[in-house]
Amino acid sequence: MTNAQLDTPVLILGGGVAGLAAAVDLARRGVAATLIEREPRLGGRASQFCCKATEACARCGACRLGELLAQAAQLPQITIYTAALAVAAQPQNDGWQVDLAPQPGGEIGPGAGRPLRERTTLNTQAVILAVGGGAFNPAGKTRFGHGRVQGVFSALELEAMLSQGALGPDGLAPAKVAFIQCVGSRDASLGRLWCSRVCCGYALRMGRVIRKLLPDSEVTFFHMDVQDYGRAWEDELPLMRHQMRFVRAMPGEVTAGDGGPQVTYALAGEQAQKEGFDLVVLSVGLGPPNGASALGELFGAAKDDDGFLTADGGPAGVFVAGAAAGPRSLNESIVHAGLAASAAAVRVASLTEARHG
Amino acid sequence: MRLNDCDPGFKHEVAAEPGGAGIRACFACAACSARCPVGANRPAYDPRRIIRLTLLGRREEVLASPLIWLCSSCYSCGEVCPQQVRFTEVLTAIKNIAAREGHAPPSAKITAELLAKQGRLLEVTDFENDKRSGLGLPPVQQRPEDFQAILGLKPSEGEAGEEPR
Ligand SMILES: Cc1cc2nc3c(=O)[nH]c(=O)nc-3n(C[C@H](O)[C@H](O)[C@H](O)COP(=O)(O)OP(=O)(O)OC[C@H]3O[C@@H](n4cnc5c(N)ncnc54)[C@H](O)[C@@H]3O)c2cc1C
Ligand code: SF4
Ligand code: SF4
Ligand code: SF4
Ligand code: SF4
Repeated sequence: MTNAQLDTPVLILGGGVAGLAAAVDLARRGVAATLIEREPRLGGRASQFCCKATEACARCGACRLGELLAQAAQLPQITIYTAALAVAAQPQNDGWQVDLAPQPGGEIGPGAGRPLRERTTLNTQAVILAVGGGAFNPAGKTRFGHGRVQGVFSALELEAMLSQGALGPDGLAPAKVAFIQCVGSRDASLGRLWCSRVCCGYALRMGRVIRKLLPDSEVTFFHMDVQDYGRAWEDELPLMRHQMRFVRAMPGEVTAGDGGPQVTYALAGEQAQKEGFDLVVLSVGLGPPNGASALGELFGAAKDDDGFLTADGGPAGVFVAGAAAGPRSLNESIVHAGLAASAAAVRVASLTEARHG
Repeated sequence: MRLNDCDPGFKHEVAAEPGGAGIRACFACAACSARCPVGANRPAYDPRRIIRLTLLGRREEVLASPLIWLCSSCYSCGEVCPQQVRFTEVLTAIKNIAAREGHAPPSAKITAELLAKQGRLLEVTDFENDKRSGLGLPPVQQRPEDFQAILGLKPSEGEAGEEPR
């Protein structure tokens, strides 16, 4: 059986905000692009995120996804396949030949894109890897009790709980919530030295949402120092210090207590203490994409010292966008995708010129 | 606290000692303090505080403190440290400086003298060697000379190399 054939100037792998933003950026420059998403639906991580507005928008970026999906659906230059995986890639004279295989579970959902139905061979001049990053699995930090101690959740689980409305007066109503920061980041014992850049921001925003849903609740923020890179952050942080309890200490461990998880920590000048909570949230960090080595084999993509993908030192015509290239917020991923799109557009233009000139 | 009373070179001095270099990486997260069993019983003992005082250059305060001798060398702090500071080793470096400057407590001196005299903390007597020979094991020799060299100590007159009584 021969594969279906497809020609596209740019192939984008990954349908999160970075891949979608790259596609929209290229389309606006008049460059057609094909985007393939491995999962049955588009959106990447942002599709799991809740809106963190309280009195005003918290600038969490989650609704940028909706904007991008709507834009991508309107632009005729963009072709999107979901449930599609690149299984083989061959460098060509001026680009790549990539074999795509349909994945199970592809249904036609609302919005842009349709599932890939048959094996397809695609010729392209540039490839943008926008496959996102991995979130740290908190079970790797055993002393914080995830998967062992009842009431301990990862921040990803809390995002999903909040966006499904599971927390509130009519649902789960914890009186005391603790966030533990830097879980799987800035940790030499795990070989993960980087700051993940998003977790202080998302934790404090979610803490504030919990305080709004449950005004009698108390939120404690265990941290080393607060890192956030967002706009107006310096105005918001002092307000947050009134809404939540900031404890500048990393806990030693989380254990099961009578009424819920117990956190052991030491305040400066005080004896270590155990404090009980109803909910302990581990603010997991971002890491290199899970399939980084597979993509490395497929496209010869280079990796930096920490294992994130990089276009520097990699093969010609391969670009990287978004969290796959390093810890990035949604907004930063969108901006980064614009850079990858412009580099890809330049390559396509120069190859086209060479061919016709 | 007056900055003029601080010795900015102290941290470099500690870092230059064997085992002391880890202090450069500490970012004061207090995970060690939360896990230290000594601190759990003696609130004044706080690994993070000892590190901060050292980084601030409170040289005399650190070296003369009786607290630095309380560590049980259990390595719990190293296990939870995100920065691989190896506080147990850092503290050993601090204690080595303190000992050179005469701050070692009497118990540490007695320990050193026992090592210099016996080559081990527990004196080996006929009791132990009889038990060993019953198990078909060779007798244990007292070899204090190595420790005497390491510690720069000479045991008191007449006791060196004495056969166990
Ligand atoms: C717990 C948590 C909370 C966060 N909260 C916030 C927040 O509040 N605000 C914020 O700005 N950022 C937040 N972030 C960061 C945010 O998730 C990232 O900035 C963002 O998802 C990066 O977008 P991306 O498109 O690069 O990657 P992703 O969103 O991860 O999208 C990558 C897409 O690529 C697909 N894919 C993977 N491999 C392949 C392949 N081989 N072929 C085809 N497709 C593939 C994936 O299925 C996915 O759809 C948070 C992160 C975490 C872990
Ligand atoms: S940026 Fe975040 S907080 Fe603001 S409206 Fe959008 S989803 Fe809500
Ligand atoms: S953003 Fe905050 S929680 Fe996340 S790694 Fe950086 S300092 Fe730690
Ligand atoms: S090694 Fe010393 S400082 Fe570290 S936890 Fe044990 S007793 Fe405390
Ligand atoms: S756990 Fe490590 S980094 Fe944290 S305060 Fe202790 S020595 Fe410093």
